[in-house]
Order: sequence, then structure tokens, then C-alpha cells
Amino acid sequence: MARTTSPARLVIALSVAAVLAVFLVYTSIRGGGTPSVSPSELSSRTGEVSLAGRVVGTPAGDPHGAGLRFTLEDIEGTQRGRVLVVYKGSVPDLFRTGRDLVVTGTRRPDGTFVTTPGSMITKCPSKYQSVEPPAA
Amino acid sequence: MPDLGRAALILTLGLCVYAVVAGGAAAMLGRRRLALSARNALYAAFGSTLVASLVLWAAFLRDDFSFAYVAGHSSRDLPFAYKLSAFWGGQEGSLLLWLLVLTAYAAIAVWLARRKARDLVVWVTPVLGGIAAAFTWLLVGVSSPFETIAAPADGSGLNPSLQNPYMVIHPVFLYLGYVGLAVPFAFAMGSLLSGRTDERWIVATRRWTIVAWTALGVGQLLGAHWAYEEVGWGGYYAWDPVENAALMPWLAATAYLHSVMIQEKRGMLRVWNVTLVGLAFCLSLFGTFLTRSGIVSSIHSFTQSSIGPWFLAFVVVAVVFTVAMIWLRLPQLRTKAKLESLVSREASFLYNNLLLVALCLTILWGTAWPILSEAVRGESVVVGRPYYDFFLRVFGLPLLLLMGIGPLIAWRRASLRGLARVFVWPAGIALAAGSLLIALGAGSSIPGLVAYTFATFVLATIALEFVRGTSARRALTGEAVPTAFGRLVGRNRRRYGGYVVHAAIVLLAIGIAGSSAYDSVVESPSPLARGESLAIGDYTLTYRELREREGANATEIRAVLDVRRGGDDLGTLEAGKNAYSVEQQVSNEVGIRSDLLTGEDLFVIAERVYENGTVQFRVFVKPLVNLIWLAGLVFVLGSLITLWPDAREERRLATRYARTPETADRTAT
Amino acid sequence: MLGAALAVAVVLLVALPFLREPAPDSDRLGELADADRRRLDAEEARDRALDALRELEADHRAGRVSDADYRTVIGAVRRDAAEALRTLDGMEAGTRANGTKTA
Repeated sequence: MARTTSPARLVIALSVAAVLAVFLVYTSIRGGGTPSVSPSELSSRTGEVSLAGRVVGTPAGDPHGAGLRFTLEDIEGTQRGRVLVVYKGSVPDLFRTGRDLVVTGTRRPDGTFVTTPGSMITKCPSKYQSVEPPAA
Repeated sequence: MPDLGRAALILTLGLCVYAVVAGGAAAMLGRRRLALSARNALYAAFGSTLVASLVLWAAFLRDDFSFAYVAGHSSRDLPFAYKLSAFWGGQEGSLLLWLLVLTAYAAIAVWLARRKARDLVVWVTPVLGGIAAAFTWLLVGVSSPFETIAAPADGSGLNPSLQNPYMVIHPVFLYLGYVGLAVPFAFAMGSLLSGRTDERWIVATRRWTIVAWTALGVGQLLGAHWAYEEVGWGGYYAWDPVENAALMPWLAATAYLHSVMIQEKRGMLRVWNVTLVGLAFCLSLFGTFLTRSGIVSSIHSFTQSSIGPWFLAFVVVAVVFTVAMIWLRLPQLRTKAKLESLVSREASFLYNNLLLVALCLTILWGTAWPILSEAVRGESVVVGRPYYDFFLRVFGLPLLLLMGIGPLIAWRRASLRGLARVFVWPAGIALAAGSLLIALGAGSSIPGLVAYTFATFVLATIALEFVRGTSARRALTGEAVPTAFGRLVGRNRRRYGGYVVHAAIVLLAIGIAGSSAYDSVVESPSPLARGESLAIGDYTLTYRELREREGANATEIRAVLDVRRGGDDLGTLEAGKNAYSVEQQVSNEVGIRSDLLTGEDLFVIAERVYENGTVQFRVFVKPLVNLIWLAGLVFVLGSLITLWPDAREERRLATRYARTPETADRTAT
Repeated sequence: MLGAALAVAVVLLVALPFLREPAPDSDRLGELADADRRRLDAEEARDRALDALRELEADHRAGRVSDADYRTVIGAVRRDAAEALRTLDGMEAGTRANGTKTA
């Protein structure tokens, strides 16, 4: 005897519900991602954040020793907030003054930003866009 | 010369618009010559796009820096091959490559189908023309590769990360894949537009889909290999939005490939299939949008440009159009066939689809959430690895298991007793393997252990299938084993080719599990001086000396290490940096030693080279990682087997579709 | 210059169908009539049913499908095949009848 109602709809509905449940449970426990902030927004933050900014000044120190110290400034916007970052771990090749990058870490009470080791990601420079070629 | 390029693209735009307008009119009014004319417009569009592309390539080879694009992505001392690949080194050139592939595919698809599916082709033409028109508009009106400047003495050079063989071919394969999905999409829409309900569009695009899907898969593996060897952070996939942009359409296409088989065998899931092909294509558009518009911060980000809003509009139009067409034809698409049992091949394909789409959508959410969050709450977030790893396991591991179960369950209804009989051997082998693995220490990672066990199960089922098939054939024909095997595969290319592809995916899963769940990493607490050693796993590495060399366009610094394992001398490894003079950049050059027997890699990064000659090293041991690349080769082999033309099948389809007016009107008076 | 040549070539290609047949006997694009659509669906159903039958027999012989499962499913598969063939025969008889009417 062929069944008159198809279990397909029920299976799909239950599966979708199950997937959604797993998803919601996961995101409510682990959170929907680490907030991404700029240096000027950092002062109002506690906890782990993802800091995005542009390197200004001269970096100093050893990332595999006491830590590489450099200053990050807001990439865009009117407020030019700055923060001192102490970074340990691998430094991507593209790191240099003027480069935009992202690091994960927390702000210390004295205002410096201490990072999760190895969490630096540099954004590829504007090389992919038509950039001013060297002067003729 | 730039004028010729610009003119050629404007011609392409005109031709594509003509293909849409004239093609649409021809389809609606039933005008034969107008339909032919619209088709010719697509052929011509390929021609003029080819001319534009050749102009750009010629400019690169001639070092014509009056082209702003050439000046921005090439230099006089750039090696020949990279001058060619610099074509797609930037946004404008990548768009032109997209268009070139699209117009080529459109011309070929329409030409191949011209006699076989005329009333379908007449609607496919305007759809393909519309997609091409959108891309051409971007190239003509928004982001042109033919902008001119006062030519500088030398160009800015090509980004060093792109100067390697992988980056020469990776984008090409990706585009062959992305764009390839436009063809089944166009045929699906064409079928809906013409009001047909049969599966002609599927039959006509089956090979297109497999080719596009294979190319997209290979493109991703090439990209992963590039990330592994060139970017050199120790991994091959970072869940970067641009990487996800290629994975999502691939997952949707995988689901589509499977569900289409259900429509073929049981006539079910017609609406679902059209939805899936639409999803795959819209995701490939969305993926291109993500990569090109710079809207998501990623290490690949192209700085925000004006094409973003246009692209987004284009994606929205495609989605709305797809949904509208499906909605319109919904009544005609519904079928009587129903799912009879939750334990059947149809059902297992359905589970496969649900898992694939679920994985695809969670990746989509993870990629899009940062953008949405910024747009809605004004605050951006970063979705990290743990999110993706979690869902990859939750959905991926059951998928792995299903690969072994699906092909062996009967259609319509299978009894649990029957299943037990079929699976008792593979399950037994898998459990034995699992126990052995625990004894060997694989219990340190539960997901890894589960992956290995499921993988063994699937490989056992595949091996058993080949054995069973061959002996059944021999029982019938008495052939020798190799002949029986060859004929078995030859007569059932799709089935056994599919098994080979599954085997490739299993190898991929084993490689990924081994290199991520069971890898080890060591970093010395202080930089190594000459003569000092580092130990990891069974290996001992001793830093011997530092070498400096002038390459074609870079200064190459290499730290040389002696590698030993146990008492054996395994030779030397070099790791260091390249300093590119023109581009003013430094790139990481890692040292990899692949062990052919165990498939594991010894992976060395020279993190930092100090003035005094000491070097800070970071060393990984990645078990089984080379299975990932091997899987790529097996994958291609399996796809080729399924693609191979089958004369009997072709004849049967030809007969079925022969007695229709589309071919009849040629013979009619 | 080259651009002009390209433009001319392109326009020629697009106009070709009209240049080749300035006054054709018929400019109608063959369209699929409803009857033909139904026949196509029926033929696909027939091919599907016969394939399923063949595959079931082959799977049973090869040992992939047990005797019990085979017995459960074979009835439905044979029925589908018979029905598909009947539908197709009915259509063909119909068109033959139409043919003799207009002849």
C-alpha cells in the first residue's frame, strides 16, 4: 500500500528546525563573533575585541621577545584615536608603517592593547586597485 | 590601442543588449530569423570581448604603461608568464576575464544546443545575454581596464604573492567554475520561461555542471595549495570571506548535482532543483561581489570601489528574477511522485542535500553577518575559526558517513535488514580501524577519530562495490578480472566515476582531519644561532647557515637547515624571505619537506631573520596533508570518467527528443 | 580603424539571418504544442520506469538488493512501468486516430 501522505515535508521541517536549533544554541553560547572596533572606540570597551587600525610612527621591539610595540590609528572617520599595541607572535610580511591591519586582544587598564599571540592579519595594500605608479 | 579595447567592449555591450531585447522578442513572438540573429549576437559578443582581451594582453607584453592598469600591475623586469597572468591581477582585469569566459561559454552552449533544443535555446539566449550585459556595463561604465595615464618609466610591478605558478592558474580555474554555473542557470530559467516541464534543460547541461563544479573544486584546491606554500602561515584555509565565496557555490552545486539525479530517476524535486541551480549561480555572483567590492575586510580585500553597489543590485535582480520565475511556474512543476520511505536512496539524497545546504547557509551567515552587523547596528564583528570549524564538523561528518550509505541503499524503500546485510562488512572494517586508531593514539581528537572511522567505512563500501560489480559481471560473461573491471566502469561511467569522486572526497577528509586535528607546532623560545637545533616529533632540525642570492626581481635570503629523523639524514630544508625591489615588499618563503611514504609535511617558517644572523623559526608537522593534493587528482579523474560520452546514452536521448517540432520544422516544407 | 572593422564585422554577423533569407517561406519558430509537451513528459516517465526496472533487476542479481527487499519493491516498479507504457500507447493511438481523420 503506497502511503498517501509523504513524510518528506515532515523530514524537511524537522531537519530545518534541528539545524536552526543547533545554530541558535551555538551562537548564544559562543557569541556571534568578536566585535570589531577602531582605536577611538576602544576606550569604551572591555573584553576581547578585534582592533582594526593603521600603523603610524615607528614600530619597536621584538615580537618574539618582550613584544613588538607600535601605534594604531583610526583608518577613517573624523576622530583620530590612537592606541599603543603590544604584540607577540608571528608578524605578517606586509607589516610596516602605513599598513592597515587587524589584531585581536584586550585593552589593559593603563590604556595599552595587549594582543592574542599570532592574531595579526594585515590587509593587502591598495596594490589591487589602480594606484599611482612611480613618477615617470 | 586603448581605444580599440574600449570600442570592443562597447560593441560587446551593444551586442549583449541586443541579445536580450531581440532574443526576448524572438522568443515571445516566435520569430525564427530574429532568434538566429540574437544567437549570432552572442557569438559576436565573444569575438569582440576576445579582441578587447587581446588588446590588454598585448599591452602587458609590450610594457605599454600608458594603460593605467598595466602600469599598476606590471613592470619591465616581470617574468613573461606573470605578465600574462597580471591580466587578472586586479579588479578591472578580473572582470574582463569573467566576461571573456562568460561570452565563450555562452557562445559554445548556444551553439552546441542549437539543433537539439531550439525552443529552449531561444529563451536561453536573452538570459545569457542579460548576465553578460551586466558585466559589460561594469567594464564600460564603472571600472574600465582601458584607462590611460601619462606613461611612467616603469610600472609598479605585480604583488609578490601573485608571482608564483599557482596564482597564474588558480583564478582561471575559479572563473571557469563560477561562470560555468551560469549555463545550467540560464537553461533552467529558459526552461521556466518557455513553460516546459520536462527535464531537457537538465540533460542539456549535465556536463556543463560537472565541468564547472570540477573546475571550481580544483580552483579552490589550487588556492589552498597557494596559501599553504606561498602565504606560509602554516595552514591552507582560513575561512576568509573570499575563500568562502568560492566554497558556497561549490556546496550548492554539489547539492544540485545529487538532487538532479533524483529528478532523473524518480521525477521528483523539480522545484527544488531549479531553486538549487538558482542558489548556486546567485552565490557565485554574490561571491564575485564579495571579492570585488571590498565590502568585507579580509586579507584579500580590494579597496572599496564604485562597483560594489552595482554588483549588489545585479545580485538582487538575479535573485528576484529566479524567485519570480519559480513562483510563476510552480503549478506546472509539481509532480505526483512522493517520497515513500525515510530509508531509501531518495531520502538519503535528501539528507545529503539538507546537510550541504545547511553548511552552505551557515558559511553564508558567517560571511555576511559582519557586513549586516555593521549596516544594522553600526558595529562590525569578526567571525572566527571556531564558528566555522564547529559547523563543518556538525554537518560535514554526517555527510561523510552518508557518502558510504547513499549509493548502496535501494530506491523507493529499503528494509533495515537488507541494509544490515549490505553494510555489515564495511561497518565491521570501520570499527576495527577505529579501534586500531585509538590504540595508535588518535583518540586525542574525537572529531579526527570520527572522521577517520567514517572515511574507512566509505572507502570500504566503495571497494566492495567495485568488487561486487566486477564479480557479478564475471559471473555473467566469464571475462578476466581486468577486462570485467574495465567494462564494468565503461558501461556504468556515471556510477563508478561517482564512486571515484567520492573516494577523492574521502581522501580530502582524511587529509584535512590529519593535518588539522593531529598536527603539532614548535617555536623556539629564542632565535636560533648557527649550529643550534630544534626538535619536533621525530625530527631534529639544525640551523646551518644563511645564504643570500639575487633572483630575477628579488633578493632571496635563505636559512639552511639540516633535517634528521631517528638516525637518518633527511637532507636540507631552506626557509627565508624574498625582498622585491620594485614592489617594495617582502614575502615569506617557507620550507616544506613532504614525506612520500607517510604523506606528512615538515613545514618550516623563518619568522624573522636578525642582523646578527640568528633566526626565529616556527616549525609544524602536518600528518597526511599531502592526501589533500592527491585527492585533487583523484577528483579530476573521477569527473573525467563521469563526463566521458556514452554512445548508447546519447542515442537514447536523441531518440527521445527527436520527434519534436523544433527539429521537425527544418524538415517541414 | 581596427575598431571600425570590428564594428562592421559584428553588425554583419548579427544581420546575417536576414541577409541570407530576405523573404523566407516561414519565419515561424517551431514551438512545442501542448500535446507534444505531454508526450515528452510521458516518454521521460517511460524511460525512467524502464530504467528503474532494469536497475532493480541488476542490483538484485549483483546482490545489492536482498530477496526480501526485491519482492517488496518489484511490484510497484512493474506497475509504474506498465502504466507509463499504457499512457504512451494511449497518446500514440490518439495521434494515429487524429492522423487518419485529417488524411
